[in-house]
Amino acid sequence: MKDIINFKDLKRHILTGISYFIPLVVGAGLTMAIGRVLAGQAVANLGESGIGYWMFQTGSLGMQMMTPVLCAYIAFSVSGKVALAPGFIIGWLAHNINTGFIGGMVGGILVGVVVNLCRKYIKLPKTLEALRGMLLIPFLATAISGLLMFAVIKGPIVWLMAQLTQFLQSLSSGSKFIYGGALGAMATFDFGGPVNKTATAFANALYAEGIRDAKTVQIIASMIQPLGIGLSCLLTRNKYTRQEKETLKAASIMGCFMISEGVIPIAARDLARVVTACVCGSFVAGGMSMMWGNSSELLNGGFIAFPFFSSPTHGLISLAVGVVITAVVLSIIKKPVTEADENRGEDLGQELSDQDLSDIQIEIM
Amino acid sequence: MKIVGVAACTAGIAHTYIAREKLVKSAELRGHKISCETQGNIGIEDELDQKDIAEADVVILAIDVAIDKTERFKGKKIIKVDTSTLIKNPIGFIQKVEQVIQK
Repeated sequence: MKDIINFKDLKRHILTGISYFIPLVVGAGLTMAIGRVLAGQAVANLGESGIGYWMFQTGSLGMQMMTPVLCAYIAFSVSGKVALAPGFIIGWLAHNINTGFIGGMVGGILVGVVVNLCRKYIKLPKTLEALRGMLLIPFLATAISGLLMFAVIKGPIVWLMAQLTQFLQSLSSGSKFIYGGALGAMATFDFGGPVNKTATAFANALYAEGIRDAKTVQIIASMIQPLGIGLSCLLTRNKYTRQEKETLKAASIMGCFMISEGVIPIAARDLARVVTACVCGSFVAGGMSMMWGNSSELLNGGFIAFPFFSSPTHGLISLAVGVVITAVVLSIIKKPVTEADENRGEDLGQELSDQDLSDIQIEIM
Repeated sequence: MKIVGVAACTAGIAHTYIAREKLVKSAELRGHKISCETQGNIGIEDELDQKDIAEADVVILAIDVAIDKTERFKGKKIIKVDTSTLIKNPIGFIQKVEQVIQK
């Protein structure tokens, strides 16, 4: 079983897909957005030529590659290069039978598994070995996965998404606030870790279904961490080390474009307090944005995405409220910097007893 | 020990580089010789020398995603770890590697 698929590695496969998917979404999304700005009018009136139309068209075609790229690189992670081509095909299929992001993830795993099965059970004489990789595996993986996608996987996913869509649309505005708040909090909870990635996958799946308010919550929430911490530093400068103030200059600028990684070193020194403050701010901001039903056309981009919200003003208000809450909470609960904090070098951890060593999870291959 | 390593995280912006720095610093602190490449979102940087790989006692992969060029490590002892586990306690991790390799 382990040579077909190891369930412990599922997370790694999905993350590989997402890591190839992020630059695509950024590149295509921004090209599309700028094309629209240049055209300066509704898409329907863009015409059929001109820089605006060309850029919009390039970007929107690129966005359709979202599911294929995700699917292909998940398959690649499961069983290597030979799974890439079938992965692209099955991903394109998933896109076209409206199973979207979820279909792409399931399809990627499926292709990988089929390729691994082919590798294990198809044995050819040495002289014909070349046929296997060139002909048999690409054909069988594509055909078998395609059949399974239509016959088995399409139904449940389409059903599930329909139920989810219906449920979300039936939420009252109070429950919407909680739902948006939870999504926002999840986005900032672990700085790009598994909780954040779960929320991202959920919001992307909804986006593919045409429900685009969850993505807005995520965009706003991801900007709250760097901007909120930045504002907190301006409010209470004695609570940040010299090095942190330097870090924050760049981190705040990156935060405007929704890259929150810059504040990781600051969070790492004071994890509990920083996370508490970010979760408070992003919960309220996410709740407000969801209650207003603010939807986003772009998946990424930070401030660049704001003009493409259904209501940029509501977006700015939610962001501002979230940033201020995070900054004030953080400035109140954070402790002033001591001399020891300033002098403490980089934290490399400490030596452990043999017993504690067994807690460190590694894999030997 | 001689160590070669590869660091790679999901987005390839931050954890990849933090992991590399902590891995290198803590390995050197414990008296090992190490070189480590990163596979971030702009591709491979500080690419490992074929000679270093050949001489290495162990290959450390601090990765959250699938990486490129794994065929270079064929036949070597490989230890795989999540970037988050490594970053949490690099010294402890190196200690664990020492323990495993000595066995």
